[in-house]
Amino acid sequence: MRAFAARLRTAAWLGWQIESNWTDPFLFVIYGLLRPLATAFIIVGMYWAVAGQATRPELFAAFYVANAFHVYVTNLVVGMGWLIVEEREDYETLKYVYTSPIGMFTYLAGRGSVKLALGTVSMLVTLVVGWFALGIRWDWAQVAWLPLAVSIALGIVACVYLGFLVAGAALLLPRVSITINEGLAVALYLLCGVIFPVDLLPHGLREVGLSLPFTYWYEALRRFLLGHGASAQLGSWSDGTLLAALALTTLVFVILSRWGYGAFERRARRLGRLDQGTLF
Amino acid sequence: MSRPGAPRRSWRDDLALDLRAARARSYVRIVGSLREPAWIVTDAFLPAFGMCAYVLLYRALGAPASFEAVAVIGGILSTYWLNVLWGMGAQLYWEKQQGQLQLYFAAPCSRMAILTGMAVGGLLMTTLRTVVGIAVGFGVLGVRVPPFDVGLLLVVFAASMLALYALGMTLASVFLLYGREAWHTCNALQEPVYFMSGLYFPLRTLGAFGWIMAGIVPLGFGVDAMRQVVLGASTPGLLPVATEVAILFGLGAAFLVAAHFALDHLERLSKQEGRLTQRWQ
Repeated sequence: MRAFAARLRTAAWLGWQIESNWTDPFLFVIYGLLRPLATAFIIVGMYWAVAGQATRPELFAAFYVANAFHVYVTNLVVGMGWLIVEEREDYETLKYVYTSPIGMFTYLAGRGSVKLALGTVSMLVTLVVGWFALGIRWDWAQVAWLPLAVSIALGIVACVYLGFLVAGAALLLPRVSITINEGLAVALYLLCGVIFPVDLLPHGLREVGLSLPFTYWYEALRRFLLGHGASAQLGSWSDGTLLAALALTTLVFVILSRWGYGAFERRARRLGRLDQGTLF
Repeated sequence: MSRPGAPRRSWRDDLALDLRAARARSYVRIVGSLREPAWIVTDAFLPAFGMCAYVLLYRALGAPASFEAVAVIGGILSTYWLNVLWGMGAQLYWEKQQGQLQLYFAAPCSRMAILTGMAVGGLLMTTLRTVVGIAVGFGVLGVRVPPFDVGLLLVVFAASMLALYALGMTLASVFLLYGREAWHTCNALQEPVYFMSGLYFPLRTLGAFGWIMAGIVPLGFGVDAMRQVVLGASTPGLLPVATEVAILFGLGAAFLVAAHFALDHLERLSKQEGRLTQRWQ
């Protein structure tokens, strides 16, 4: 256990160095917060454009909160995919990491923890800006702290294991295809009802969305933080049912992601992709 | 410089060489992009996913139907900004990482011709991809717009693309100096530019701040003018369409001149600082 913690810490330290040493700290903070804040401001601009004519303006806070937490998905999905490409092609160290005692999975966990930390900062800044500058507020007395904490923990676990799955897929993909991970983050933005109730999705897509833990995660965050969700369908579920759905889909997702990562890694090794450059 | 005894090159020879270079670079851009399935998916479907989410946001809020068309137009145009960023701005950075940048500078043709070919090829390739956005927005989501002047829309579109891709050529020159900062800068300029350009909402919503932002990125005036043409009186713009088109043509010319001088200056600076062939920094 102590060895695992030491390896995790070392991988996290290395990840932090790679993430941050390309510029000075001030610019690093600016660059890190620009995208999440801009994404929030886009939906704020959209809301302000129709505030006087909208029939359901009360839903906006729910969308803003979910959008703030979606930064975890974006950071881990996009970041873990590019991590593999950087290690394999830019720094050419992937094969050394693979053969080292630390192991790929621990290494990815350590590197992913940095992206998780950066996502946490972005999420908090987005909520603080919403609170003080944009008037997006909630009644602290109505917050259900324990279910909220459980929801956040389950959602982050789902995000981390999604990152592992994407990293596994990246072991097989050439560099030119890695932009697929950006598409995946945006697809989840659509399928999981981040900025609209999942009820508005057409049949087919709605069922896909309801099979993903993130859909329940966003709805749980809204309900336990704001006191209400956004989906009429999920709104009829009790708190216990919603949390159980989140826990069950997260568990299935974790199992599938862990198995998927292992399968991708074995296939990448069999095909000789672990040290194969694709920068063409 | 010609060899002793060789015929002198005329400006017609140079122009012919530059045009061939531009055609060759645009050919690679169009044909190459069709050979990579991942690029077809990410260039065509990724912006459409985002567009769908924003259309459904307006529906969830109960906004008037014209705002859904605003989101569709914004989603279609976001595809072009992504191409300007990654296909133009970051392109010379990618070439530097692949170790091919010195070939560009050793080529006998004008570097502006190479950038022009990249711009033309990128524009054509992206326009093919926007068919997906149009099909999704107006077909799948059922968004509707009133009848509009197609000829005027094409003029506004041409002015917008001239300004945008000229900006892309300037960015490509600037990123010659950059290492990893180029990648991070391109990442940082996606959603912030969507916001500053009012891609998904009228910039007038932001009052004076909207005016300031429209002047920073040409996409703002382009989007605003195209919305006025397509949606008519239901979407008042920042300025009259004719004024915005004139501004866009002016910005396009200014960025082209800036790109020419930036390319020369930054090439010289990159060579002095040894960054022209520096990889992975």
